[in-house]
Amino acid sequence: MNYKAEILAFFFVATGFAQFDIPTPILDQSGQNGLIQRPEFYILDWEYGTRLKEKPTSLSIEADSMGLQEVNVLVNSEERPIIYTSDVSTPVCADGDCRLMEIRLYWTLLGAYAGFDYYRNTPLTKHDHDEFLSADYLKLHQLLMDNNSILKHKKIDELVDKPKQPKTEGVDAVAGATIKEVKESVVRGALYSCYTAWHLVHGPIKDAIQRRTLLSLDDTMVLRMLGSSNTGYQLFALKRLTENEYEAHYLRIAEIFESSIPLVRTFIVKKLPDTFWSSEKLQKPFWKSFSKVDINSRSLLLDHLGEVPESVLEGLSVELKNMTKNQIKVFLAHLEESKRVSSSIQANLEAFSNSDTETNAYLVKIYMEDFQQ
Amino acid sequence: MKLILAALCFCLISCSIFSQDILIEAESFDNPGGWVIDPQFVEQMGSPYLMAHGMGEPVQNASTVVNFLETRDYHIWVRTMNWVPGEWEAPGRFQLKVGETTFEKVLGKRSSWGWEYVGEIQIKVDSEKIELIDLTGFNGRCDAIYFSTQKVAPPDSAKKLAKWRTVFTQEPNAPEESEAYDLVVVGGGIAGCAASIAAAEQGLKVALIHDRPVLGGNASSEIRVHTLGIYGHFERILRKLDTQHYPNGSAEAKLDQKKRDNNVKSYDNIDLYLNWRAYDAVAKNDTIRFVDARHTSSGERKRFSAPYFVDSTGDGWIGYWAGAKFSYGRESVDTYGEEWEEWGELWSPKEADNAVMGSSVLWGSKVTDTEQKYPEVAWAMPVAKEYEEVNGEWQWEFSRNDLNQIDDAEEIRDHMLRAIYGSFANAKKHPENSMRRLEWVSYLVGKRESRRLVGDHVFTFNDAKAGTKFPDAVVIETREVDVHYQTVLEDEKNPDFISEALFYKTPQYYIPYRSLYSKNINNLFMAGRNFSTSHAGLGGPRVMRTTGQMGAAVGLAASLCKKYDVNPREIYARYLNEYLNLIEAQRYIKIPESKQ
Repeated sequence: MNYKAEILAFFFVATGFAQFDIPTPILDQSGQNGLIQRPEFYILDWEYGTRLKEKPTSLSIEADSMGLQEVNVLVNSEERPIIYTSDVSTPVCADGDCRLMEIRLYWTLLGAYAGFDYYRNTPLTKHDHDEFLSADYLKLHQLLMDNNSILKHKKIDELVDKPKQPKTEGVDAVAGATIKEVKESVVRGALYSCYTAWHLVHGPIKDAIQRRTLLSLDDTMVLRMLGSSNTGYQLFALKRLTENEYEAHYLRIAEIFESSIPLVRTFIVKKLPDTFWSSEKLQKPFWKSFSKVDINSRSLLLDHLGEVPESVLEGLSVELKNMTKNQIKVFLAHLEESKRVSSSIQANLEAFSNSDTETNAYLVKIYMEDFQQ
Repeated sequence: MKLILAALCFCLISCSIFSQDILIEAESFDNPGGWVIDPQFVEQMGSPYLMAHGMGEPVQNASTVVNFLETRDYHIWVRTMNWVPGEWEAPGRFQLKVGETTFEKVLGKRSSWGWEYVGEIQIKVDSEKIELIDLTGFNGRCDAIYFSTQKVAPPDSAKKLAKWRTVFTQEPNAPEESEAYDLVVVGGGIAGCAASIAAAEQGLKVALIHDRPVLGGNASSEIRVHTLGIYGHFERILRKLDTQHYPNGSAEAKLDQKKRDNNVKSYDNIDLYLNWRAYDAVAKNDTIRFVDARHTSSGERKRFSAPYFVDSTGDGWIGYWAGAKFSYGRESVDTYGEEWEEWGELWSPKEADNAVMGSSVLWGSKVTDTEQKYPEVAWAMPVAKEYEEVNGEWQWEFSRNDLNQIDDAEEIRDHMLRAIYGSFANAKKHPENSMRRLEWVSYLVGKRESRRLVGDHVFTFNDAKAGTKFPDAVVIETREVDVHYQTVLEDEKNPDFISEALFYKTPQYYIPYRSLYSKNINNLFMAGRNFSTSHAGLGGPRVMRTTGQMGAAVGLAASLCKKYDVNPREIYARYLNEYLNLIEAQRYIKIPESKQ
């Protein structure tokens, strides 16, 4: 750290500190502290016409040699917190050459990365002083979205020192995963900037923001999160809903089930209260998404075969083409156990078993043979 | 040939049932040519089989000579499977040649394991050479060939076929040969090898049963995962077995292979049964009496009896057969309080489920001096999609909740083969890869997690996190706990065969001896990934120097069991000090210079 401070001190003396006036975010055109346009790189929903006001908090982040930097909250017209932001100015040093990185960072209410803006008059630069191109900003955005980046557990020195690469016959011995993954995930020629930005975004501020959110958490905020397309918000809300709230919001939850990521879907199926499995109305929207969701989620739904109404069983009998081998086995085992196979299910099974293109048709054929005995 | 002869002998005494019918187990061929013997899925599909693992280039014919009792007409069936059924030509196609006749029928086309009719042939001489002709190099597989005077195929279903095989070969229930040892270790991975060495050094007569031709399991030159973790008290023993830190999949694994095999073979009181796969363990009054094993190519069987057994099979097979308590999947977050809030559901789920860390199949390619063609692999693309790569690392991993890492291991392996062949095909489209060729693709599933046998203590993430100093701590580790998940869970655009690791940095932590013997089977030790642990607890100590420590620890415990004629639990209850002293003494045995 010391050598960096010395280099930085030299840098300030040599270049003059005055040129680092606080820049204006390109999208902050309202003339006041706030946000009226969607940040250029942003992962949350942004409704047209949104105007967010910036308010101070007691939160801050520490940037290398620059001391504490304020983290503010952006609130909507109802004074509800929407995101957190900080105008960060931090030195980035490589091989004795230091430059200031100016960037405006955003966090979600849960402290996850939400996006960033850069300043037109102080764009991000690479080691060779070339300015970031559009693709580079996008790459940085992708890196910052990865909360489990390879940069997480590595010291910067480990990323630039090439490991020894034994030369032997056999597979391409170069690299192992680490260096290759680093190269793939950072902006070429801007490892230090990427590293610094990632650790600012995913540093201790994350927990601090989440703690602050939890202090003011109320039903409205939870329901806003449930309505969001952000999977972090969805999961957070789904964990907090009561059984009654699950029932009250079953259509929204079914919508999330269909459109979200597998991790959220599997959580939903496991968390649905028992009342769902005894109510045709409540469970049907989830079965409706059967062909659209991932294999893991389908398997979890099929765990509830014993609690489904006839209409769902019938629907599933035309979904055999969307089931894996083991899922078909589960479905057929259920039919065998329940000993109640309607004529329409029977017809669907027959059609599937006679298909020339379905690779698992043989499973149903064997079942039909046994069943008819 | 032995199985063929067995069938023939049986024909002599039981002609009324099977007449002159002959069953030839493919794995018993005199000359497998370029085909490999694959015994990984015996418990599911019934038998080791021959596979044409040519990485896209047809392999040399497998051949054997069959003696016929009578010259007459025979119908022929081959037991095979199309491993990627779909709207494309089956990837693993092959033909059968009998004498000078090559049958036109292309085999390897049926959707699941079962019999394909080849045709009819008139056998005119007493003995004929039969050959398997690989057409693709893409993992065609043949389990058995059946010559019958009747046009009636043996049963397809694995269960019915098992019975049929027993009747056909008139195999007695129990193996006729038996061997007695002080300790029987099943599974020759690093843990099993370490257990064998530690016990042998204390004077025990040890049988080490392993279903591959080389030792090391995941660390072997056949799977090529490097060993991680520390040596703990057992540096001298583990240095005989471990690997350098080369990239996973490196051909350097061959050097460590030689070292490991030679070291284990240097012990006179270890009887090494390579290419023997255990298939049963019989317990009476919760005590294992014997383990039965079968040679993976000759089919010969042996019964191994001993007062103590070590389950280092990885899948916990010995415990499973003997009726040991076991677990599979992820406990709910509340079962042991293993929450890590930052990673929530990915780390430990609210509700228990059957998700586990996946299996890897490592592979690599190299650049040559000449243009290298690579065939179209349409059947691989639904898995590989757009993904392109020229070699694989640990992230090439597959797990899905409808697939069990044991029962569906063949499907898991095959899914990875499709991922590999398809991703390489995508990479080959780039001109810079025109001279690149596949050099090595493992056909063995490198598993991370499956059955975990339950001991007197279940090791958890919290034990690692707190660095709990158990009174019976016998394994020490500093490596972080890392649990994997499939990246497709977070983004469906990701390939389903790539994983990510979640690392939790821990202080130095310890595994107690009580996690290394079964809770309900009196004379069963376990060492390796099937030790007594929770899913999250396994994240750290599943690596192979750590599992090697477990092995060495149980090997020494077994020696005290023998000394006092007691069961493993009593070492903890009555002889713990002596046991810990024995372990501590390991530190002071000098490592010969040649082994350093």
